[in-house]
Parts: sequence; structure tokens; C-alpha cells
Amino acid sequence: MAIFSHIPFVIVILLYFISSVWSIGYIVKPAFFNKKVGKWSMMMGFLIHSGFLIFLGLESGNIPITNVYESFVSLIWCILFVYINLDYLYKLPSLDTFLVPVVTALSIWSLTFDGGNLTITVSLQNFWLIAHIIPIFVGYASFTISFSLSIMYLTQQRQLKHKLFGPLFTKLPSLEGIDRLMWKTISFGFPLLTLGLVFGTFWVKTQNILGEQWYLDYKVVLGLATWLIYAALLHMRLVSSFHGTKIACLTIAGFCLVLFTFIGTFFMGSKHAFQKVSEQTHEKF
Amino acid sequence: MSILVVGLNHKSAPVEVREKLAFNANNISTALSLFLHRHQTTETVILSTCNRVEMYVSSLDGTVKTEDVLSFFADFHKITLNEFSPYMYHYTDDRAVNHLFFVTASLDSMVLGESQILSQVKEAYTTASMEEATGKVMNQLFQQALNVAKIVHTKTAIGKKKVSISSVAVEFAEKIFQDFTGKMVLVVGAGEMCELLLKHLYEEGARTIVVANRTFERAQEIANAFQGQAIKYELLGDYLAKADIIISSTSAPHYVIHVDQVKDAIRHRRGNPMFLIDIAVPRDIEPEIANIDNVYLYNIDDLQSVVSQNIDERSREVEKCRAIVEEEVDHFMARLEEMKIEPAITLLRNHFHAIGKEELDRLKTKLKGIDNGDWEQVVYTVERTINKLLHHPAKVAKQEAKNGGGYRYVEIIKKLFGIFHTPDHT
Repeated sequence: MAIFSHIPFVIVILLYFISSVWSIGYIVKPAFFNKKVGKWSMMMGFLIHSGFLIFLGLESGNIPITNVYESFVSLIWCILFVYINLDYLYKLPSLDTFLVPVVTALSIWSLTFDGGNLTITVSLQNFWLIAHIIPIFVGYASFTISFSLSIMYLTQQRQLKHKLFGPLFTKLPSLEGIDRLMWKTISFGFPLLTLGLVFGTFWVKTQNILGEQWYLDYKVVLGLATWLIYAALLHMRLVSSFHGTKIACLTIAGFCLVLFTFIGTFFMGSKHAFQKVSEQTHEKF
Repeated sequence: MSILVVGLNHKSAPVEVREKLAFNANNISTALSLFLHRHQTTETVILSTCNRVEMYVSSLDGTVKTEDVLSFFADFHKITLNEFSPYMYHYTDDRAVNHLFFVTASLDSMVLGESQILSQVKEAYTTASMEEATGKVMNQLFQQALNVAKIVHTKTAIGKKKVSISSVAVEFAEKIFQDFTGKMVLVVGAGEMCELLLKHLYEEGARTIVVANRTFERAQEIANAFQGQAIKYELLGDYLAKADIIISSTSAPHYVIHVDQVKDAIRHRRGNPMFLIDIAVPRDIEPEIANIDNVYLYNIDDLQSVVSQNIDERSREVEKCRAIVEEEVDHFMARLEEMKIEPAITLLRNHFHAIGKEELDRLKTKLKGIDNGDWEQVVYTVERTINKLLHHPAKVAKQEAKNGGGYRYVEIIKKLFGIFHTPDHT
């Protein structure tokens, strides 16, 4: 990728970083760290981020998931998109303090994939791809938010248990409020993940894109594991109506698996319809 | 024009003295009109709360003295001066203004930063103005005092942290539950503290209230007060799993709620959090209960330590508040000085306009044939000249008066232009 097309995302990361610092600073020293600065730098970052994705899309003529880096950037955009809507609907105080740093960290991490030579091998004009990717990305975004909420829950729970009544205690919402939203994000993400996986299965069966032993692909196996962990969560909550610490811990585990499924599998050698550029060139000759 | 305050408060006088001097809603109007009758051309406001009785008086050139107010108190309440005068304090002018601002901003209150005093000051002022006991000075003074209190409360953290056991407990409950509707509050024992806490929770929306007490009648009494349900003390165990908030304050010498019971309850509740408040001494709830997952237990010491921390935090804000008050006192005193010169400036204007009118009348008799349009132009020019001539001196005099010494300028104006008047009480 040309260097100039790289700059917008660095600016985005910088804005997310400022937003993180301000949203954390607001807890400790609200007089200095104005909440609005955090909010507006995030919004500004999100706008440039959106513009950047449009630019990438126009450049390649496809939705911007043509390589690992682009998919990562798109996933981060989805997280913020879901967060902004959720914040508008529920206005849970201090969620940004827990989410924006996660988003910033993911953004910085995504940079390391830039210039990586894994590109997608399947046709991007494919209906199945859209039907597979979009629900899964929005689902993952929703799970990322539920992860932030779990951290928030455990923090507040710890403060209540250990009688730590500092500035963070007063700024965080009630356990019940966090728990409810955590539940909402999981029950929103799960059907989307299911849908994405079902479409993926159809795709792989009808077009044979992962070879005969597609079910041995790491991403497929871990995707199923992710689905199972969230299914277990749902079961615990719906059938046994479980609340509290256990749900929060399991949500964190679920998110770790999401992250591993999304990125970790590439390190394990799973290609999952991505191929090294060098291999592609090699095949041509 | 001077401002005087004479009064006593919870720091200067014991309740036996304060109650003798207190005014109530029935006699405060009488007191105001009696005082005005005795000292005409004054303005006055009486502030009477359970912690203080204060009389604010504004009179021209300080004609009303502290002794006058003291003897008014003595006469009105039919007590002798010796009974209360040693407990009284009195301040004049900027110190009086400072005192009122300090009081209104609740920096002089028993509970630092409580907001009740603000409404009490507002009420005292409204009563006085309804009785037409206030004028230009008192109106400005009290409106400014209320304003300063608002500034102090928004710019500092003086009133932010909770400083009573029950409000702190409710604050904790709010960090566990999003709202109290549909939450069951179980009260074990029937102490006064329990009732206070229950009142707080009820105000915040708790409606399912169950009371268990050794004496069933007492349980019923409390339950009725909060539209709750009284249960037999023996049935306590059955209700534990259903209760979201448990308040315990029995006088039992042993634990009333045990680890096993709560473990069992939380299992039934499937991790739904439980909030337990133990305000009994000796304690009612086994302390090990705090280790159970999703259970939050606080005893009286936990709550008390938060209260003391919050009180400390409030007192740390006092210096910041004091600075705001002092700045506002300076502003007010400058405004007062400006007000002192205003009547003199009005007189000066009237004096000039009178001269102008006199000269115009003389001219009109000379210019008999002048048509109306031209004559209006002449009148307009004369008035405009007078206004232009006076504009600058009036502005400078007001500005100079702000820095103190408004009276000096009044005297100069009077002397220079030969204006003498009988001033009104403003």
C-alpha cells in the first residue's frame, strides 16, 4: 500500500488515543479532562475512519476486506459503529472509558498487519461473502462491547466488595445496569454470529472454497467454539437465569476466543480463503 | 446606608437560648412590621431556622444600632437582655454581607454544604418582601446571596458527597441496582435508623417492603408507614432468597443472619446480587457473608468511615468557597457604593433639567411666533446638551464610588452645584 494512503488511519489512531486518554482522565481529574474532548475526538476519528474505508473500497473496487489488514480496520469500524448506536440508545455512563482504549489497542495492533501479504483468494463480488462477513463482523463488534462491559462489571464489583470508593466508583453505573446492557449486546451478537456461520457453511459446501477438509480449518473449528461459548452463556442466562460475576468472566473468555478466531488463526497457519501474494504470483506462472 | 446583622447560631448559643429567640411562621410578619414601625426608613429580613436566628437591617448612615435590635428581640420575646445578649454576634457592612453569603452558601451550617439553608434564606427573604420590609439594599443583598450560594455549589464540591449514614447506604444500593422498583427490601429489627434508611429507599422508589421484628406489632407499625408487609420473625429465613436489600438492626446479642442461609439464598437467586446493611451493634449479620460471590455486605463502621471521608472532603472545599464568597462580597460592596451615589446623580439631573426648563420657558415667551416644529427642535437640543454634559461626570462618579468613598462624591456634587435634599431611606 502506498505510504500516503497509510496516513489517514494513523490520524484515526491518534484521535482514538486522545479519546482514550481523555475518557480515562475524566474519571481521575474531570476538571482538566473535559468529557467532550474525548467524545469529539472519537467521533472525528470515526468519521475519518469511515472515509478511509470508503477510499480503500473505491481503490480496490470491493468491500474493504481484501486482506487481513483491511478486514481488521473494517472490524474496528464495526465496533465503533455499534458502540455509537448503543450509546445513543442507552447512554450508559463511562462505557467509553472501557471501550475506546480497547479500540485504540486493536487499531495499533492492526497496523502490524499492514503490508502483510495475505490477500483474499475468493471473488469479492460474491453474495455469500457479504452474507458471511457482515453479520459476523457486527456480531464480533457487539461481543467486543460486551467484553468492555464485563471489565466494567468486574471493576465495579471489585470496588463494592473491597470497599474502594474512589472517583471511579462514583462514575461507574450500577452492576444491574451494566449486566443488562451486557446481556443485550450478547443477545444481539449471537444471532448475527449464527447467521454468519450458517451462510459460511452454505458457501463452503456449495463452492468448495476451503477444500475437501474444510471442517479442519482452524478458523472454522474456533468459530464453532466461539459460537458454543456464547450459546453456553445464553443458556446459562435464559434457562438458569444466571447473573453476576460468572457471566462477566465467561464473556471475557468469549471475547478472547473471538479475537483468537479472527486473528490468531492466521499465526497458526490457517488461511481461510486468504493466500500469500507470492503464492498467487507463483501459481500464475 | 449601612448593613447590620445581629443574631446567634448553633455555634454561639445552646438550643435553650436559640429556642427563646426563634420566630415562627405565625409571628414573623408581626415582628417585621413591629420593627419597621419602631425604626422607619429601614429595611429588614429575619432569618429564623432551628440552628440560627438572625436579623438583617439596612438603615441610612447606620441609624439602627446593635442595641436597638437586641432590645427589639428582648421586647418581642418578652425576655431580658441578659438571657441572650452574651450569645449574640453582630457584624456590619462588608462583614455582615460576608456573613450572609457564608450562611446562604451553607458554609456556616451544622452539616457543611447541606442545601436546606438555601431554601430557608429564600423563604425568609420572600416573607420580608411580602411584608414590604425590604427595599433596594435588601433586595440586592438577598438576591445576590442566593446567587452566590448557587455559584459556590456549582463551582466547588461542597455539597456533592453524601454525609449521612442512610444517604451513603442508598448511594451504595444505587451502585448495585439500577432502580428499586420491583426490588424487595427486607427489614430485620425496627430501630430508628432502619426507619430512616427505609424512608430514603422509599423515596427512591422501593415499594416492596417486608418487615420482620420480634415484636410483631412494631413490625406492623413500620410496615404500615411504608405500605409494606409485616412478617413473623420466625419466617425470616423464607424471605431471605427473595430479598434484594436486607437491612438489619436488631438488638440481638448474636448473629441473626448466617453464612449458610445467605449461601443458600444466593444459589436460589442464581447470582442476582444481594445488598446487606448491618447497622446493629453488636452485629446481626455474620461478617464472613461478605466473601460470598455477588453478596455485598456493609456494617455501620463501613458506612461511617465513608461519611467521615466525605465530611473531610467537604471541609477541604471550604477554602475554595471562602475565596468565591470574598470576591462576591467585594462585588456587592462596590455595587452598594454605586447605589449610594445614585440618588445624588438623580438629583443633579433633575437640578440641571429644572434649570433648562426654566430657561426654555423664558425663551418661549420671547419667541412668540415660533412654529411647533422649530420649538421642538430647540427643546430637544437643550435636553440633549444637558444629558451630554452630565453623562461623563455621572459615569466617572459611579466608577469612583465603586472603589469606596461614594459619600465623598455625593458631598462634592452637592457642594459644587448647591443641591440640598432630604434623602429617602435608600
